[in-house]
Amino acid sequence: MAEESDLLRFLQERSDGNLLSLTAQREAARQFDCSLRDIEETALSHSILPERYQRNGLLPAQQLLLFHAKVAIIGSGGLGGRVAELLARMGVGNIFLTDPDIFNESNLNRQNFCTTETLGDYKVEVVARELKKINPILNIEMTKGLFSETSVSAADLIVDGLDSIEDRRHLSQLCMKYCRPLIHAAVNKWYGQVGVEQLKSNLIAQLFPLQAQALSPPQVLPPTVALLAAMQAAEVCKLILGQNSPLTAAWLHCDLLNCEYHLLPYK
Amino acid sequence: MQVQVKLFAFFREGRFKEEGRELADNTIVGQVIDDLGIDREEVGVLMINSRHCQFDTVLRENDILAIFPVIGGG
Repeated sequence: MAEESDLLRFLQERSDGNLLSLTAQREAARQFDCSLRDIEETALSHSILPERYQRNGLLPAQQLLLFHAKVAIIGSGGLGGRVAELLARMGVGNIFLTDPDIFNESNLNRQNFCTTETLGDYKVEVVARELKKINPILNIEMTKGLFSETSVSAADLIVDGLDSIEDRRHLSQLCMKYCRPLIHAAVNKWYGQVGVEQLKSNLIAQLFPLQAQALSPPQVLPPTVALLAAMQAAEVCKLILGQNSPLTAAWLHCDLLNCEYHLLPYK
Repeated sequence: MQVQVKLFAFFREGRFKEEGRELADNTIVGQVIDDLGIDREEVGVLMINSRHCQFDTVLRENDILAIFPVIGGG
C-alpha cells in the first residue's frame, strides 16, 4: 500500500495538469517495478489521463471503463483487423483475437497489417504484435482457429468480423446463449450493413434468412470496410460507456456508391 | 394494381433504384423478385411499407416494396 501511494505521488508529480506522458509512465514502471498496464490503471483510477488519450475527449473515468472492457473480435481480416486497431488506440484494455487464417495476397487491398512482408503469417499473430506496438498496455489474447463458446463467454462484447453466413449464425447463437451483445457488420462492394444484436433483437436471423446464400467470395472495397469497421468500433465504445445507440433498435444499410444511408427498424 | 419497387445495393446494377410496376391483384412478393431475375438465395431483407415481409406476402395497391440483398463479406 505504501508503495502504491508512493507510485500515485510520483504520477501526480510527473503529470502536467492531469496529463501523464509516456516517458513518465515508463519511468514509473522502471522505478516501481510494475507494468505500463498497472501504471495506466493507477493513473486512470485517480483521474490522471495518459497523454495518448487526450484527444479522445473522454473523462478518465470513461477511459477506465474502456481499460477494463473485454472485447472479443471474431475474425482478424478487413473488419476485425481495423476494429482491433481502433479499439487499441481508443484504449480498450482487453482484446481477444480469433482467426484461423494466414494473410494472402487477396487481403492486401483492405486488411490493415497485411503487407508484402506479412504475407503467409497468421493474422492474429501479426495483429497482436502491431497492436502492442500501438498501445503496450493492452492485454491481448489470440486464438489461431475458429471461435468457440469460450471466445464468447470470456468477453463482455463480441465484434463480428466474419465472412461466412453459417459462421455468423453460429456466433449469433452463442452470443444469445451467453447474453453478449454482438456488433455485426458485413460488406460487399460499395455496400455494407451494421447493427447491434442484443437478446431478442434477432438481427442476424433477419439479415440472413434461411434461404440466403452469400456470393462467394465477396468483393470488398477498402473504403467500405474502413467505414463499417469504424462504425463497429464506435458501437463498441458506446456500449462500454453506456451511451444509447439507435443501432440497438435498427440496422444501418450503407451505400457508398450513391451516398445513401438507411436506418431500418428490426422486425 | 400499382406497386412501387425499391432495390438496394447491387440489386440496382442493370435494373433500377425505384420503379412503379403494374401488377395483377394478389401478386406475392416472391413473384416480383422472380420477374426481376433476382435469385431468391441472394435476398436478405424484404420490407413492405417499412415493415418486414416474406416471399409469400401478398402485395396491395400502393404498397412500397423494398428488396435488400444478403451482404456477407468481412
